[in-house]
Amino acid sequence: MASSISSQHDQVLVEVKSFARILTLNRPKQLNALSLHMISRLLELFIAYEEDPNVKLVILKGKGRAFCTGGDVAAVVHDIRTGGWRAGANHFMKGYTLNYLMATYSKPQVSLLNGIVMGGGNGASMHGRFRVATENSLFAMPETAVGLFPDVGASFFLSRLPGFFGEYVGLTGARLDGAEMLACGLATHFVPSAKLPMLEAALCAVDSGDPEIISSIIGRYSEQPSLKEQSVYNRLDVIDRCFSQNTVEEILSALIRVGRFQGVGPCLVREYRMVCHVLRGEFSNDFLEGYRAILLDKDKNPKWEPSKLELVTDTKVDRYFSKVNNEDGEDLKLPVRSKFNLPPYVVAKL
Amino acid sequence: MDRAYQRTRILTNHLIPNSPAQTVCLTSNECLSYSPPELSEKYAFDVGEMRRLMDGHDVEERDRLFGLIIQSKLFNPRVRGGKVFVSPDYNQSMEQQREMTWKRIEYLSERGVFRGWMTGKGEDVEMKRFACFEVLGLFDHSISIKLGVHFFLWGGAIQFFGTKHHHDKWLRDTENYLIKGCFAMTELGHGSNVRGIETVTTYDSNTGEFIINTPCESAQKYWIGGAAKHATHTIVFSQLNINGTNEGVHALIAQIRDADGNVCPNIRIADCGHKIGLNGVDNGRIWFDNVRVPRENLLNSVADVSPDGKYLSSIKDPDQRFAAFLSPLTAGRVNIAVNAVYQSKVGLAIAIRYALTRRAFSLKANEPEVLLLDYPSHQRRLLPLLAKIYAMSFAANYLKMLYVKRTPQSNKTIHVVSSSFKATITWSNMQILQECREACGGQGLKTENRVGHLKAEHDVQSTFEGDNNILMQQVSKALFAEYVAAQKRNKVFKGLGLEHMNKPCPVIPSQLTSTTLRCSQFQMDALCLRERELLNRFVADVSQCLARGESKEHSFNTNYQLAEDLGKAFSDQAIFQTFVEAEATLAAGSLKDVLGMVRSLYALTCLEDVTYLRYGYLSVDNAAAVRGEITKLCSELRPHALALVSSFGIPDAFLSPIAFNWVDANSWSSVQH
Repeated sequence: MASSISSQHDQVLVEVKSFARILTLNRPKQLNALSLHMISRLLELFIAYEEDPNVKLVILKGKGRAFCTGGDVAAVVHDIRTGGWRAGANHFMKGYTLNYLMATYSKPQVSLLNGIVMGGGNGASMHGRFRVATENSLFAMPETAVGLFPDVGASFFLSRLPGFFGEYVGLTGARLDGAEMLACGLATHFVPSAKLPMLEAALCAVDSGDPEIISSIIGRYSEQPSLKEQSVYNRLDVIDRCFSQNTVEEILSALIRVGRFQGVGPCLVREYRMVCHVLRGEFSNDFLEGYRAILLDKDKNPKWEPSKLELVTDTKVDRYFSKVNNEDGEDLKLPVRSKFNLPPYVVAKL
Repeated sequence: MDRAYQRTRILTNHLIPNSPAQTVCLTSNECLSYSPPELSEKYAFDVGEMRRLMDGHDVEERDRLFGLIIQSKLFNPRVRGGKVFVSPDYNQSMEQQREMTWKRIEYLSERGVFRGWMTGKGEDVEMKRFACFEVLGLFDHSISIKLGVHFFLWGGAIQFFGTKHHHDKWLRDTENYLIKGCFAMTELGHGSNVRGIETVTTYDSNTGEFIINTPCESAQKYWIGGAAKHATHTIVFSQLNINGTNEGVHALIAQIRDADGNVCPNIRIADCGHKIGLNGVDNGRIWFDNVRVPRENLLNSVADVSPDGKYLSSIKDPDQRFAAFLSPLTAGRVNIAVNAVYQSKVGLAIAIRYALTRRAFSLKANEPEVLLLDYPSHQRRLLPLLAKIYAMSFAANYLKMLYVKRTPQSNKTIHVVSSSFKATITWSNMQILQECREACGGQGLKTENRVGHLKAEHDVQSTFEGDNNILMQQVSKALFAEYVAAQKRNKVFKGLGLEHMNKPCPVIPSQLTSTTLRCSQFQMDALCLRERELLNRFVADVSQCLARGESKEHSFNTNYQLAEDLGKAFSDQAIFQTFVEAEATLAAGSLKDVLGMVRSLYALTCLEDVTYLRYGYLSVDNAAAVRGEITKLCSELRPHALALVSSFGIPDAFLSPIAFNWVDANSWSSVQH
């Protein structure tokens, strides 16, 4: 995993265009998977831009055919093996802090999701004010497949999708296209990929950070795509009926159900507690087993523990939500946001 | 020459702008902006733990039901200030509101929310049902009442007045809403006095049928929830005349509509009309014109009529029979008492959150205006009510437990405690909602801000399921009976929380320090002292009347003022007892410390009641010390106000826009969308 210093610097490209800043995730060979360096760099940039009166708008996009496929799981596993669970947890601590900053940012962020956007890639985009899907978008929260859970603030943004669609998406790791993302609210706009360069230019030309103005500019290039006939979104009534049941006694549905009633900060604090339990392998080795089966050996046959839903008890759910019981165990400390003039749509998320 | 130079200079300045513009402009104060209380207030204790203590049970079931309501379009979700709120559209017509209430019930039924409510047995089922009602009551009173009538009244009557063949025939269909039940007890001329109702039922031994009849206009059934539009079946309460003898009030089942919704023959139904609130409930009036029902439709757990027309009952005394008959209806009364707690919680959560973000007047020029809740007067208005609702919350949990663990021996206690708590809590609810409305000023008048509207919706609580005044009289009568029974037992008091009367009379110190005032033993002593003295006095005065040859009823009526004071003393003491017991379950820590302050504030507010000075249980100096301590406690609890209302566990969507960003909720852009 060693990369030279110079290539690390290139992982996030920065363009200054008048009052806008265009950030490009630049690891196309890894489908822009977020390394710890990229997360740190994004944090640095976002913090600086908030204080800088010359920045009114941040645009985020990805190089190549993906926006971002998520966190660099292999790097996390490597860090756990060499530095202990805390070294792995560091990725998540920084990542969730970035998610919180984006969710409570006092300036608008426009993410151009022209390709795969999964896992940590959603953490870097869904919390921003504007999410632009295209005909190339492919969304998923696939964490359950690797023995993790939908994190990066998903307990906040999935729980607020219509009906019980959030439970469905989080539990199954279902994939959604651009039209579906727009229909359920994960995307705020849909713009054909051919028009993206014009959209970027228009956003940079306008010199404004007013969300109303930005929305109307994106609106000028937007379209209303129709859902495919077999789209799962056409079967919302079935999804609601199934995923509203309380017989799905999993930690995951509890995660989304509880997240529905909380602000984005408390959601991220709870997810951090859960991820610490996962990384410490306290209750099972599912995370390392998932990494092995899906990403390393690629046999796609993970041996989960417990192996069946019925064996998951309620007390297990409570333990995942509790603070790590250890001198090392600390809650995620999120930055104080009160000194910034937070716009109303941010205040509503607290 | 000077003048020319001056003129030239002036003209030069006009033509060549040189010096930087001196910005001497009139700056107004920065615009008022909304800052959420979460950013400035701190939580000193675990709000989740306090919530679990206050809700007491079924937290996950509650959250599931909250989720079902929030995520469905049927519950009228609206976005205000970037947040979603759910609350019925009270601007709809009466007909539309009734239809929506019914649609919501269907939705919940399909989602399996009512599974086991009639066919399940055991404490867990009953507690879960209470929890569901508490959640539904937070959304809307009408849906709560419709379901309460169907499950607690109709369903409860089948369960408790009926026998096996009734259970087998009706309970499953009730649970699945294949039939819709209602409960015809009250008449135009008789509400509180159930034994005086005028509907008459006779028996035809030739056909094996009962004949139910409304003999005059005052006998029409009135306020029958569900009857005006939807109900298919009803429990009918009626005098039972068998072989020329009036055997008293009994209950039968009658069908009033067929499956297509047409009113059955010999039944007339009219609408009670528009009400000041609760227009989602279709209250109806029913006339029975010699309606014939099969003999099996008599609910016969207490008494029966044989096929050849003989009246049979294992209980010979008609008074006892009537009491046995009505005692199972306590579940409805318990449900109302515990629900009222949650409506007060909504009012207080809204008013206190608003007071943490609304400012008025600066203390000094150029300073920001002061938050409402930073004024001692505002604290004094709201924080004692917050303490009261904490107390009532623990009392409600105690009442639920008492009810689900009922035995034949505990029936009398349940009757007295439920009467006392229902009256006290629902009266409190009205007081709290009124104060909360006023504390929100003009915003309290907007229906969508909920706090003002809740008052009218819940006003009925003080007079249905037992008029509060009548219920409190029952309390004093029961205490009188207990006293007389104790005399016979050599003065040993057992039951109804009167055990403190066996100990020596507590003494109130003449000097009341802060430490004493906050000590739970002192607080308990003061409450017990009042109850003890008032009970002694009441018994003495009633006994005097009896000794003069007056009837028991007349003696009680004459001493109604003492009876009222005694009833209140009993309630305050009983409620306080539940608070102390809940507090004792906590381990030492910040949660327990804060709860202790809340408990003291509640107790001292009870000691401010006029009876303490009226009868001299506290001196004027004592009363001043109490008053001063209350003010101190209010300021000490001020920093915990947000945490204390967040502990109610009410999702944001069930509060209202003024509890959040009320500036953005009223912005011009929100008008345009």
